[in-house]
Amino acid sequence: MSLRRDGRLGAAWIVILIVLPFIAALISLGIGRMSIAPGEVIDVLRAALSGKHASSELIEKTVLQLRLPRIILATLVGAGLSVSGCAFQSLFANPLATPDTLGVASGSAFGAALGILLGFDLIGIQILGLAMGGAAVALTWLSGSGKDRGGLSYIVLSGIMIGSLFSALISFIKFAADEEQQLPAITYWLMGGLDKANYRTLALGAPVIIAGVLVFVLIRWRMNLLPLSDDEAKASGVNVRLLRGVTIVAATAVTASCVSMCGQVGWVGLLIPHMCRMIFGNNHLSIVPASVSFGAVFMIIVDTMARSISAAEIPVSILTAIIGAPFFIVLMRRSGGWRI
Amino acid sequence: MSDTVTKAAGEALLRIENGCFAYKSGPQILKDINIELAPGEILAVLGPNGAGKTTLLRCMMDMLHWQSGRSLLDGEDIRGIPASRLWRRMAYVPQARTAAVSYTAFQTVLLGRSSRIGAFSAPSEEDMKIAERVMERLGIAHLADKPCHAISGGELQMVLIARAMAAEPEILVLDEPESNLDFKNQLIVLDAMTALAAEGVACIFNTHYPAHALQRAGKSLMLSKDGRSVFGNTTEVVTEENIRRAFGVDALIGEVETPRSVMKNVVAVGISEEGGTHQQAHRKGPVLASVTVIMQSNEHASLVNKAFREFNHLLIGRMGLPHRRSEKYIITVMLEGPESEIEALSHRLGLIPDISVKTTYE
Repeated sequence: MSLRRDGRLGAAWIVILIVLPFIAALISLGIGRMSIAPGEVIDVLRAALSGKHASSELIEKTVLQLRLPRIILATLVGAGLSVSGCAFQSLFANPLATPDTLGVASGSAFGAALGILLGFDLIGIQILGLAMGGAAVALTWLSGSGKDRGGLSYIVLSGIMIGSLFSALISFIKFAADEEQQLPAITYWLMGGLDKANYRTLALGAPVIIAGVLVFVLIRWRMNLLPLSDDEAKASGVNVRLLRGVTIVAATAVTASCVSMCGQVGWVGLLIPHMCRMIFGNNHLSIVPASVSFGAVFMIIVDTMARSISAAEIPVSILTAIIGAPFFIVLMRRSGGWRI
Repeated sequence: MSDTVTKAAGEALLRIENGCFAYKSGPQILKDINIELAPGEILAVLGPNGAGKTTLLRCMMDMLHWQSGRSLLDGEDIRGIPASRLWRRMAYVPQARTAAVSYTAFQTVLLGRSSRIGAFSAPSEEDMKIAERVMERLGIAHLADKPCHAISGGELQMVLIARAMAAEPEILVLDEPESNLDFKNQLIVLDAMTALAAEGVACIFNTHYPAHALQRAGKSLMLSKDGRSVFGNTTEVVTEENIRRAFGVDALIGEVETPRSVMKNVVAVGISEEGGTHQQAHRKGPVLASVTVIMQSNEHASLVNKAFREFNHLLIGRMGLPHRRSEKYIITVMLEGPESEIEALSHRLGLIPDISVKTTYE
């Protein structure tokens, strides 16, 4: 499975990247409070696809109504956050960039917290989260960009400022919230969790994430121009302002959509792209599809653990860090150095 | 319509007309810049730190906008040319240290094809063949799979030149290509530029070394801090007088005789004081001279003949001999004319690759 000179993925890798998320999803469908054998899972899925009912209603309900939407959400969130992180690392030519660099996650989380405070339902929370995420990035863009100012580094700086502004606003909402009901709800929501997944919220959030991921997959070779300096980028003859704009809009939409559905899921957007860079180098022809696939697999695994390790649901952000950090360090030491 | 404009401009491929530029609320750094460049010519841009060498290149390529004046490509204002079309004809080689990303050398070179690859596509087989060919031609094929952070500064500069050449441009713009490089790597980079020019690519390069202008460039532009500039044939621009005015340095221009050729060189003697004079006076009136040229092959014979044709009015005799056994060519011309013109011809010949030139004066 050696790497190809032109940065394309070899056939073996393509098969692995496509098959792996399906295998992970299939296994995950069988794991939980009620253990279901892979054969039964496949039976249920086959029956559902042909419009019939499976033999056991309980198993069918568990697989299709409880676990499947959650696994779909995990797949989308993992793929979306890691490909957005990958894009932002390249855009800002900075290995520390994450999907939240422009403040989108803080904005979305603020929106969602506000929604909980105002007593909105899940869809309302989601819409407010999306809107506030977009507003945060727009604010970052307005305060950071302009004529004759150092370009992207100013935008990163204003992203940090806007991010902390919204974090402060979240604290204010917590402070203002009712301690009995709203405060725990907000706190728990902010820690991130996919337990709220259902087909209604998916119908609103999934198209945005899928569209954003698709954009990145389609322009993946051109994304190689993202880290170039301004002059080099201009001299490529490609409209780089448009490319950067598309990158920011797509990553913002994806991230805001993820956060508004399942809270702040840290780490995925930093960890998975770097893992892909260690394996494949920096060519986006390979690291974009790899980030999508590995991100999905990682999130499915972490969420399966979150719902099955203990009787109580463990917030997913805690697990991404507990699993992610050591894994990342081992990988980093093994690979003996890589560069963005 | 552009045809008639082109004819009016002569054979100039690239021209700057009355280019002026100042940064916001700063002094005028570029005043009335006028240059023209024909295919296959090399233009050196010289000047002290802060005189605006890089600014000039950026204005010329429309990365910064001229306050007044314009750059013309084949008679067409560069600002009006769509980026994707402009950057197929012109390519930019940044300083090696600005490359922050680490793709492999081959992938970096492939990026040079960007203007010809659609937004949703990846490089085709042909794109890859072109990238491979360019790397081979520049002698860096062995670097193809190395990441750019793991190669030397000289190698990186060559990779960046290859990336520019992958666009198959007619004009190559190089920003201090030989800065920060050791002697050998300087020669590798300058030789590559000379070879590309001999194939017809017009090259513009910024440099801190007046000697490199004398040794490589047919034309030079010298910028001063006060915004004044001199443009013309290198022998007329890079003079002791102009160096003193632009750099504030007393310099001696001398000739170093090598077994193959006579090379011009510049030695900085000291920081100049007002009124110091080191005139390198040409003799007045016509002198007799002979110029002998040995060519390693007839590959660049047309360039040699073109130079002789241009100075035809000096010629009083000519002798050419192909040496069959070694496939080398020896040409001697006898000349009569002003010393400065004879010097200009021998300088011109010295810029051609794989050639030995010597001039003897009466």
